[in-house]
Amino acid sequence: MSKPLLQKNTRILLTWLPMVLLACSLLFYMVLRMHAHHMQEKQLLLKQTNVWGAFIERSGNIEKHIKGEYDIAQGYADASIELGEPRDTLVFYEGSKQALPFEIQTTNLQWNGKPYHITTYTSSTEVSHLIVKVFLTEAVILVLLLIAIVVLNRKSSRLLWKPFFGAMKEIKEYDIIRNKTPDLPVQTETTEFDELNTVITDLIDNVNTAYYNQKQFVENASHEMQTPLAIIRSKLELLINQPNLTEKAAFLLGDITEANDRLSQMNRTLLLLAKIENSQFPDTEEINMSSILRQLLHNFQQHYENFPELTINIENDVSVKSDRSLAEILMSNLVNNSILHNKTEGKINIVLQPSFFLIENTGLPLDVNPEELFERFKKGSHQTKTTGLGLALVKQICLLYKYNVNYEYQNGWHRVKVIFK
Amino acid sequence: MKLLVVEDESSLRQSIQEYFTQEDFHCEGVGNYSEAIRKVEDFEYDCIILDINLPDGNGFRLLQYLRECNKQDGVIIISARNSLDDKITGLDLGADDYITKPFHLSELNSRIKALIRRKYGQGTNILQSGNLQLDMLSRNVACGQHKIALTKNEFDLLAYLLNNKNRVVSRQAIAEHIYGDQSENMPSFDFVYSQIKNLKRKLKEKGCDDLIQTVYGLGYKLSL
Repeated sequence: MSKPLLQKNTRILLTWLPMVLLACSLLFYMVLRMHAHHMQEKQLLLKQTNVWGAFIERSGNIEKHIKGEYDIAQGYADASIELGEPRDTLVFYEGSKQALPFEIQTTNLQWNGKPYHITTYTSSTEVSHLIVKVFLTEAVILVLLLIAIVVLNRKSSRLLWKPFFGAMKEIKEYDIIRNKTPDLPVQTETTEFDELNTVITDLIDNVNTAYYNQKQFVENASHEMQTPLAIIRSKLELLINQPNLTEKAAFLLGDITEANDRLSQMNRTLLLLAKIENSQFPDTEEINMSSILRQLLHNFQQHYENFPELTINIENDVSVKSDRSLAEILMSNLVNNSILHNKTEGKINIVLQPSFFLIENTGLPLDVNPEELFERFKKGSHQTKTTGLGLALVKQICLLYKYNVNYEYQNGWHRVKVIFK
Repeated sequence: MKLLVVEDESSLRQSIQEYFTQEDFHCEGVGNYSEAIRKVEDFEYDCIILDINLPDGNGFRLLQYLRECNKQDGVIIISARNSLDDKITGLDLGADDYITKPFHLSELNSRIKALIRRKYGQGTNILQSGNLQLDMLSRNVACGQHKIALTKNEFDLLAYLLNNKNRVVSRQAIAEHIYGDQSENMPSFDFVYSQIKNLKRKLKEKGCDDLIQTVYGLGYKLSL
């Protein structure tokens, strides 16, 4: 699962940093203890040197036992005692009725040919207290450090990534159809982002150029095709008026004429599509959709003898801002489709409200994804004689005016809804 | 009637000339702007069929020239550019009509006849053929003394056939003429068939039989 960069970064820091810090504190604790131990050893040795020095200086006339400080006894120490190595022990204090931990060290020595063993004491309590205090202090510092690192990291990340998010916002608004090119700064003070912005800008420029060329190509190609089509059409008209035309020739000419007309139709629609794409319909006015629709339905009913059963619910004076001819094309294409793709004895329902235009008709089930029908030259397998551009045109017009259009098939009904904003 | 065709595509120009010569027009053709200017300077035409894109100039300029010289020639623009702006510019500059390529010659013919009727034929708003009479203004039809009640489409269809009488008019041309831009995406021309059927029936009822003939799979012909 993908998460925001900042969160990811923090998560990594929060996962690994405490572990590292924990390991470090353990190491620190061990080193601290080792040093404390070493210090105690030195203390014991120093005390032994001092006490023994005093003992010899005063010819043995010093206290032989001072609790918690030293013991001097004649004879060698027990063989069980490891000499010269510090050992742990407890010393009982009656006053506080407590046994306190001490570190002791015993050494065998000789004076005037007599053996002695001397044991020096040093308290462990203070040292261990010190260790705990130092360790706690370190722990607090480490926690503070952890927080500081995370916070600083978040802050600096946010600052560092700022040009990135800025660029993202710009790119999101990029719209190839409306030719809105993002304005990406080339100077972000970060080399990588400068590079990224330059690369993206170049990429978008290339895409725009390709798109523009393609649009231009369609428009130019359609334009250039008009004249030959006109020539073919005019020659065909001269030809069908030739005297002594045989029946066979007439049928051939009929087919050619029909094909040529379909070609012209397609070409005209492609040109119209290209023009809408090239934003050559900038003018909009308030169009009374209700009256256009009524007129249109009237015309269609006149033209089709077997017009399907029609139910209409058209609100009066629904007005939409649009180009008049495009509004007419939009609705007539949809109405026409609902007639052409209907079944015999079919039905059409039409609803026009200020917010939407709904048209539904009975018909054969769809054998393609309805969304695909909005693509150019996409048509259901039942239809062979349509251009396959009607719905593409509808979609292009909807795109131009930011209408929402959807097509669905349910229980024998085809339903197209155009939602005006 | 004198006609000038200004069209740089020679093949199309020839077609138009041939078609209108058959319609008993005196038809001349030129392929560029300078020749066209020379022609209109020297002669007067009833109608000029004018292409906008010419190799050495623009059809709009010719229109301007005509209006500046106060010449009354009728002008029908033919253009590959089906843009509203062009249409408006053309009509503003005094063109009488505008038709987009590719067009049907029968449509052009019908438009030219309408133009000539409008422009020169005061009082001749009656189209007459045999005993069939069409009043283009009041849109009344009569066969001899009998009035025939026709729908708007049937009237347009009959007028169209009459304007192109003795010629085969294709179903597509009829569809486009009546249906205009809405004939887009028309896979079948059933409605042309049904309109013709109704029209024939109504004509027959009033005694104008067999005016309209069906020509194989091509179209229809009104002959006298």
